[in-house]
Amino acid sequence: MTAPFLLRKDVFQQNTPTLDPITLSVVRYKLLAIVEEVVDVMARTCFSPVLNTSRDFSAAILNPESRLIAQAERVPIHMGALPFAVESMISAFAPDIMEGDVLLANDPYWGGSHLPDITLAAPVFYDEEICLWVSIRAHQGDIGGISPGGYSPSAMEIWHEGIRLPPMKFVECGYVRQDVLRMICANSRTPADTHGDLLAQLSSVNQGVKRLVQLFDRYRAAVMQECCDAILSAGERAMRAQIAQWSPGVYEAVSYLDSNPLVDGALPIKVRITLDDRSAEVDFRDCQDQVRSFVNSPLANTVAAVNVAFMYLSESHDAQNDGCARAIHVLTRKGSIVDPIAPAPVAASTTLTASVIIETVMKALEHAAPQHVLAGFARRFRFAISGSDRKNKRFIWHHFANRGGAGAHHRADGWCNLGVMQNPGGSPSQSVERTESAYPFEVERYCLRPDSGGAGRKRGGCGGIYILRYEGQAAATITPTGDGVEVAPYGLAGGGDALANAYHIERAGKIIKLGATEAHMDLMPGDRIICKSAGGGGYGTPTDRSEGEIRRDLEYGYVSVGIAKKVYGYRK
Amino acid sequence: MQRPAKTVRVGVDIGGTFTDIVAIADDGKFLITKTPSIPEDPAQGVIQGLALLAGMMDVPLKGLLARIELLIHGTTIATNSLAERKGAAVGMITTEGFRDILELREGTKGRRYDLRSEFPQPLVGRPWRREVKERIHWNGEIGLKLDERAVCDELKTLRDQEMEAVVVGFLHSHVNPVHELRVRELIRNLGWDVYIVLSHEILGIEGEYDRFSTAAVNAYVGPKLSGYLLNLERNLRDADALVPLLIMQSTGGLLPVEEASRYSVGCITSGPAGGAIASALFGRLHSRTKIVAYDTGGTTTDISLIDEGIPVERSKTQLEDSKISVPSIDIQVIGLGGGSLARIDAGGILTLGPDSAGAHPGPASYGRGGEQPTLTDANLVLGYLNPDAFLGGRLPLYRDLAHKAILKAIANPLGLSVEDASLAIHTLASSRIAEGIRTATIRRGLDPRDFALISFGGAGGAHADAVSRELSIPLAIVPREAAVFSAFGFLAADVRLDSQRSCGKLLSEISPGDLAQIFSELENKMKERLQAIGFGPDRVRFASFLDCRYLRQVSTIEVSISKKMLAEQDFSVLISAYEAKYRQYYGHTHSNEAPFIESCRVSGYGLVSNVRPPSANNGGTQTSGRPHSFRDRRPVFVGEWVEVPVYWFDDLSSGTELAGLALIESSTTTVMLQPGSQALVDEYGSLQISGVLPL
Repeated sequence: MTAPFLLRKDVFQQNTPTLDPITLSVVRYKLLAIVEEVVDVMARTCFSPVLNTSRDFSAAILNPESRLIAQAERVPIHMGALPFAVESMISAFAPDIMEGDVLLANDPYWGGSHLPDITLAAPVFYDEEICLWVSIRAHQGDIGGISPGGYSPSAMEIWHEGIRLPPMKFVECGYVRQDVLRMICANSRTPADTHGDLLAQLSSVNQGVKRLVQLFDRYRAAVMQECCDAILSAGERAMRAQIAQWSPGVYEAVSYLDSNPLVDGALPIKVRITLDDRSAEVDFRDCQDQVRSFVNSPLANTVAAVNVAFMYLSESHDAQNDGCARAIHVLTRKGSIVDPIAPAPVAASTTLTASVIIETVMKALEHAAPQHVLAGFARRFRFAISGSDRKNKRFIWHHFANRGGAGAHHRADGWCNLGVMQNPGGSPSQSVERTESAYPFEVERYCLRPDSGGAGRKRGGCGGIYILRYEGQAAATITPTGDGVEVAPYGLAGGGDALANAYHIERAGKIIKLGATEAHMDLMPGDRIICKSAGGGGYGTPTDRSEGEIRRDLEYGYVSVGIAKKVYGYRK
Repeated sequence: MQRPAKTVRVGVDIGGTFTDIVAIADDGKFLITKTPSIPEDPAQGVIQGLALLAGMMDVPLKGLLARIELLIHGTTIATNSLAERKGAAVGMITTEGFRDILELREGTKGRRYDLRSEFPQPLVGRPWRREVKERIHWNGEIGLKLDERAVCDELKTLRDQEMEAVVVGFLHSHVNPVHELRVRELIRNLGWDVYIVLSHEILGIEGEYDRFSTAAVNAYVGPKLSGYLLNLERNLRDADALVPLLIMQSTGGLLPVEEASRYSVGCITSGPAGGAIASALFGRLHSRTKIVAYDTGGTTTDISLIDEGIPVERSKTQLEDSKISVPSIDIQVIGLGGGSLARIDAGGILTLGPDSAGAHPGPASYGRGGEQPTLTDANLVLGYLNPDAFLGGRLPLYRDLAHKAILKAIANPLGLSVEDASLAIHTLASSRIAEGIRTATIRRGLDPRDFALISFGGAGGAHADAVSRELSIPLAIVPREAAVFSAFGFLAADVRLDSQRSCGKLLSEISPGDLAQIFSELENKMKERLQAIGFGPDRVRFASFLDCRYLRQVSTIEVSISKKMLAEQDFSVLISAYEAKYRQYYGHTHSNEAPFIESCRVSGYGLVSNVRPPSANNGGTQTSGRPHSFRDRRPVFVGEWVEVPVYWFDDLSSGTELAGLALIESSTTTVMLQPGSQALVDEYGSLQISGVLPL
């Protein structure tokens, strides 16, 4: 027994016949520490520089019913989705799951989100029974498909997007299945990275299992079981208490994805939310049918996006776990854009569609939860450029800087350069100096974009301007993927919309518009890429903004005099 | 017979509440004292502390000052002005098109999902970040000449706006600093006496945000710190002390006043650094090269690691929304201290911290109006703290108030007795400290069980034994100097200068000769600087490092390199050293890829001291005696009320053995010895606890 004497069970049992609060607090803390350790091991052992840098992975501890007890929140959109993946894996194999097995899957039509996210799940056996699961999801650099990296705007079926992996045993009774490992790696353009990252995922879940078994040794299975139940109930209570702060009623909203070459017009995502004093029903059944474009969102991703929205809406994140989901019911229609059936492509669901789903929920709750809703954030607009560098070596450069503004809310202005709603902040973008020293580019300008934030009593954060000149010797290729060129970040409670993303190439005096989801385009030496990222939406009526704040906006150049006068009614 | 010219070395650590003073005489005798800090005039506080010390030595202040051969000082002035955002008005001159680099923050945010927090304005506000035409390319070529007329105009504007400091930050200035240097000349030509910071001088490596941000922090805290240090020097001079004054840095090294004033960003986290240096010293004394030290104070627990006898460092620090990219001892901070608030969260489960009651109102038991229960309140209810001996009896604690707060906020909602609720808080605190230590070690690929634990700081002792048990650490040490551990560490430190240069090449693209050349240039420059501050060739030592990574990665790994490695014909030894370190962190290597060298670094040491703590053989430490309220038995709650023996730490002579359950009390901390644990007072007067390890 590893406990200090203070935790001896006989001490507890004197005055606490059932679960005592000391054990509960300590166990909850320890579960969080263990799941953090799981992602730490991943951070330390992941092989590909891509994962190593982006930290695009998350881990969770789940109960035998695949309910999430503790999470290491790295990529929020992973978290709500993991229970679906683990549930699907369990149903594929139960009762044929042995101690030492580790299951693996990525298939969106088997509880997954999109193909690059490979999920591993390991059962924690104690007294010959499965007591918990440890799961880790990591975004792999490449899993085949039409385009390197997995996001292909031209994909029309899931098979275009890469290898599908329905639940399989990656480890059987402690032995890694080399055949499975070989097959997955053989389907990646970067097999060595995939090999290393999958093994890193495996060490991480193994570490989690080891530590959880120690925890069971210390507290015994029955106590652990009670703790897990109590933790879920606490999550449920916290979420119900949060919902109780909002006004009951039925609320509707719609938000749009930009149009893209494979669909006609902007794509609406509609929601109807019914709040009573202790639960929320989030109904997407009026959403349109699935489309032949990579923006379809599998059910797991849709539910995860709703969870992210409610997490942002909550005041405290202490009690976040699957218990919260008991208070939130998500309804969808099979075959719709938010619950597609095979073979609809889905690669952009975790980024582009997730943002729009979160936005829709926020907009719907504008009047129900005025203290907590957030105005719209800049949507993601990234591009990759491949070509030859100064030494005539091939390079791929990803534009991750200039993320755009965050939405304002009841209490404060939005942040600048915080970027996308489904994954704000994140790892630092590459420095201007590094972009210039390592690649054939010169950055002419990187600064705030005045007037881009939506006007409001609280102003949306400013977007940015980033101007990149290509100085290579030969033509290169640019591949944009993004959204939010047509649809601007929304304002709330009378606040104005922000300016939308605006990207174009300037070539010999001519302007070439850069659409969000075009296929590849040529980039010529001397071309300038002008990137103007969206601001965040405003909150509240602009004329209610205090004079001091408007003066500061003018002095700081966040807002121009013209807008100050016209929109804010500034008179000086 | 006493020698007439007895000299002393003095370490002075100014904290928020107390100024700690440690003095070592050349006969090895130790003196320790504490005096309340004087926040409005800290320099005066130092002088008063020295007067107190003189009193203890029975000499007049002047007599003491004449005897001090070295005064080593740590101050939180820089830290506080950053944390409280009370620094200087700073203007910036930067490359046209890039004035928002500080505000764009590389697109990051601490606490990413807390999306309703206020945007923290950068240390230099947008109107005071002024752009001028100039451009240096990545290879150092001048693309666009500096527009000197524009510089002068902008400088005049900043001067008219009464800026107290100016940061000059141009792109690629680490490759070619000519434009930044020229702006300094132009400022001087204007006759403007302002605190000047050139980004390449603070940080000579690629990455404009890191460089500008670090330089901005330097400019923000510099004027206040340098003003204070000069004032302190003047005060000492007025008192006829011709004492060399050295200032503690975040690296655990020391700098003379002039250098410290210019390089003020270097002492932002100097407070805890002294503790880490002292821990390393205690490790050496106990022949242990791996130590994990934790210091639980009022609001936080600071954890530092000593590996191979040296405090583990980090290259970047994120503090109060500012990024600081200069090396410092890697102190991991968890939001848990005596003042941490215990509460029932939204889901109905007990949690502790990171919110703190701070010093005002403080824990409920302080009787200053605090109503929320804290860890200190729980430890008081449990009898682990003596209400009349807290902080040497200077601050009486009210047990009834602690009782009331815990009853209302914790015990009633959970349906527990107040004692059980307090025990829950206490136990959760031990768990949180232990998990914090586990994370700090495991993140670096180290196993906590290989370490010895050192506990210092007021609130740490009550948990030391429990924490070491929890982590299966076989030995926990509580030094007798725990109360003034940082100041004590100052006396074990050496002068240190750091210098670095961007390399930006794959190891396969550079020859051993080239690399040796870079290091010898760095070292020679450092030698000159050390010579200039009084360290000749016989009193200097150098340590060289490469910051390496694989090409496509971002974070680097530090590889310590020797002259011998650089003299080799090829890099095979160096590559193995890198791979060994990489394997420690990541468990594998990429043997087919060459490491990429981001930068070359040299730390130069001016050797100052070789101090040992007092031992039984050299007179021991002179401290205050035990208070009148001290009783040698008292009841504590450990699931039931038990009467346990209480020992006064300073009364225990070396060789004393104690067995748990027991309390060992001093004027600043109480050590809780668990049942089954043994404690031995070693030759340095420290408590060595060996607990019962799990099977």
